[in-house]
Amino acid sequence: MNTAMLHIRRISLLAAVSAATAFAQAPGKAAPDFAVNDVAGKAVKLSDYRGKYVVLEWTNPDCPFVRNHYGKRGMQAQQKRWGGEDVVWLTLNSTNRNHPEYKTPAAMADWMKAQDGAPGVLAVDGESAVARAYGVKTTPEMYVIDPAGTVIYAGAVDDGRSTRHDPRRANNFVQAALTQAKAGQAVAQPSTSPYGCSLKY
Amino acid sequence: MNVRSTVSPTRCRPTPRDKPRRLGGAHALVAAVALAAAATHALGAPVKTDHVEAELVSAQSALVPGQPATVALRLTIEDGWHTYWKNPGDSGLPTTLAWKLPPGFAAGEIAWPPPRALPVGPLVNHGFEGEVLHLVTITPPADAKPGSDATLAARADWLVCKETCIPDGADLALTLPVATTAATNAAWAPRIEAARVALPRALDGWTTAARGDGDRIVLTLTPPPGAADPGALHFFADADARIEPSGAQSQARGAGGGYALTLPVSSALTGDFKRLTGVVTAERGFGVGGGTVKAATIDAPLAGAVVAGAKPKLDAGPTLDVNARAAPSASGTPFIAALALAFVGGMILNLMPCVFPVLSLKALSLAAPGHSDGPSMRVGALAFAAGVMATFVALAALLLALRAAGEQVGWGFQLQAPGVVTALAVLFFVLALNLSGVFEFGALWTGSGRPLRHPHADAFLSGVLAVVIASPCTAPFMGAALGYALTAPAPATLAVFAVLGAGMALPFALLSWFPAWRRVLPRPGPWMARLKQLLAFPLYATVAWLVWVLGAQVDNDAVVRLLITLVVVAFALWAWRAFRGGASGGFRVAALLAVVGAVALAWPLLRGDATASAASAPKSGASETAWQPWSPARVADLSRDGVPVFVDFTAAWCVTCQVNKRLVLNDASVRAAFAQRNVALVRADWTRRDPAITQALARLGRNGVPVYVLYRPGREPLVLPEVLSKGIVEDALAAI
Repeated sequence: MNTAMLHIRRISLLAAVSAATAFAQAPGKAAPDFAVNDVAGKAVKLSDYRGKYVVLEWTNPDCPFVRNHYGKRGMQAQQKRWGGEDVVWLTLNSTNRNHPEYKTPAAMADWMKAQDGAPGVLAVDGESAVARAYGVKTTPEMYVIDPAGTVIYAGAVDDGRSTRHDPRRANNFVQAALTQAKAGQAVAQPSTSPYGCSLKY
Repeated sequence: MNVRSTVSPTRCRPTPRDKPRRLGGAHALVAAVALAAAATHALGAPVKTDHVEAELVSAQSALVPGQPATVALRLTIEDGWHTYWKNPGDSGLPTTLAWKLPPGFAAGEIAWPPPRALPVGPLVNHGFEGEVLHLVTITPPADAKPGSDATLAARADWLVCKETCIPDGADLALTLPVATTAATNAAWAPRIEAARVALPRALDGWTTAARGDGDRIVLTLTPPPGAADPGALHFFADADARIEPSGAQSQARGAGGGYALTLPVSSALTGDFKRLTGVVTAERGFGVGGGTVKAATIDAPLAGAVVAGAKPKLDAGPTLDVNARAAPSASGTPFIAALALAFVGGMILNLMPCVFPVLSLKALSLAAPGHSDGPSMRVGALAFAAGVMATFVALAALLLALRAAGEQVGWGFQLQAPGVVTALAVLFFVLALNLSGVFEFGALWTGSGRPLRHPHADAFLSGVLAVVIASPCTAPFMGAALGYALTAPAPATLAVFAVLGAGMALPFALLSWFPAWRRVLPRPGPWMARLKQLLAFPLYATVAWLVWVLGAQVDNDAVVRLLITLVVVAFALWAWRAFRGGASGGFRVAALLAVVGAVALAWPLLRGDATASAASAPKSGASETAWQPWSPARVADLSRDGVPVFVDFTAAWCVTCQVNKRLVLNDASVRAAFAQRNVALVRADWTRRDPAITQALARLGRNGVPVYVLYRPGREPLVLPEVLSKGIVEDALAAI
């Protein structure tokens, strides 16, 4: 029986490692994998995009900070630019389905279309599960993940910190991180404090 | 009283900064109107927006040249809504004031009242509810002309939030006469004075020290002699990205009588963090010079070194996800290791009490005369191995299919159904009676007795039977390990189970394959009959254990029902044997009737009707009142209150769980260690199927029990090894 116990103990070590990495989301750590359905119902996994840069954008159409970024077309410009450079832009609405601001996948798809947005993937995370796994606090909140699946940026979209600045003239941290990483440089500012509305858990 | 106030509301619209100046052109008219209004209202109408009422108010009736005066932005916030402090916490924006003052006038910064910690779901904001006065010092120039009017105009912007957030604001103005002396403004002076007294102030007589230690900072406030206990403390950092707003702050009485508040460092910390600055609020107030101070300013050099902390766990909500299951590590090495471990585990299965009696007898029978050494034996060995492996793979495939169909099941699912437990109890009882010699069962499973008509099919079936009888032993002893294997991609999972089967089949297959090896087996003889009878007892013990599991799953009535079923089964077998031994046909009828009776008796259990009413929880932990039943909401509530939580994911059918419970968790010293650190003990009982527990396990990257998790305030949860020792638990507790 000693051998059996040893066997269990060894496997438990492996399991503990995988459990520990599941909640690491700080820059330099592995991005927790997740699976969601996009607004068209297609199953999408973060790990499907291994080998590419991935941007995670947490959004909420009812949040005035988000509306500022879309109203002044800053977010759409980033989506289009990086989508054209083989970066997977994954926009998530993690508003809990019990919250009054919850939007169905169809409503999110309509909203994004009306905004003329161009995320590579748009998904609704109605249990707020992905947001919890990443410890997301606000909308908008951004993550950049490198092709090896490591978080290289976590935090705010830009240094605007308001509901009315012009995002196209602000210092966009996502753009900086992607530009630096793609040029083979270290990301100068891998972490900022996100600002915005609270994520509606 | 000669106080006039003018307001020009333009809420929700950014206003060009020069607009108030141009308003000054219309000043005479506005002032005239306001003067008329002031005759009846000491102060003009405040600006009302949907959720906030705003105005500028003054503590004095006039401004005196060169002398600082206090005015305030009053926000009265609708119930349930809040605005923000200078560091808004996890989300939000601080309220701002942009002044447009007459030439030479100067406005100071907002003197922020002490904030409150406002939880929003799992997040925490810093802000205000109800009425809040933002005090500002206005200093008129020394050459301001008495007799003139000064209009203090300001654009106030705030974010007001409840479930939704609204950026809001107003253009406000307050016109005061300039005079050589000023009286107090009776309407506002007392409230402004009260707000001033409540402002955070330095803790005179106390010593403060801040020490960084990795991802936490200990702020120690040491009172002067005789100061009363300040009660619960909360620290608010001046700036964001310093202290994690939603991380728990734990308070302890330090050596030397100080109050030590442990603060989690922000996950977004960048750059230097050399001083800890902010506000600490005290439930009962700090004793300072005979009075009490509800909120104190902190500005302490930070000794030691800090690093960015972990993001706080936000899995506090009552809904747990299925989607964001912990990703299993997909690298090659663990997979090979898993295969190797599965193979060894499979071989060990031969020694399990459910399996050993049966397979050892089957092995011994090989040494009996009449067994050929030819190719037929080798094909039989392969057929047996194929039977074992196919059954393991089929079980794993069934489990994967159930999970793909949305069922929340994990390894050990076989034993979560009372019907399966009942069927296994009957099967083991029949096998045990056979070994005891109550009846002969034929050749199928021990390989002894009459010659076989389809030897290879029988070898395959005995492989199947071997797995069936092994399955109650795999779940309790290796449930967690196999559960982990199930989190791998499906082909890898099936490979692990196939290799497990190969390991289990190997010893018997080798004996069949190599006739020479069988010489090491003892010669058959009368001792074999006695050994056979002896080996019945591990099987009886297995039956006893299964009866106990059923009792934990259902209730005492179910236990009695199963026990009577077993008695009737024993009677049926005895009657059948009597009939086969030459007794009259009545015995056959009795045996058949008894079989029908046994099935009828066991039927409610087999169908699963007998699961206890929904209200009654499984009973395995009920006697220990220290343990609360698990639910995601309970863990969330406790964690939010800053209480460390130890969760025992367990099941009655899990032997490792029971051993840990009896030897470690119920140990007096371990219980004392839990109590000493005020750890909330929560038990998640997976004896019966429970999708919420299955999901919680999946989030931890597990698919079976036992799992032991220690949730620590402000830190990542700690998953302990499956085999506990007192030392492991005490070390974990020491790290809280």
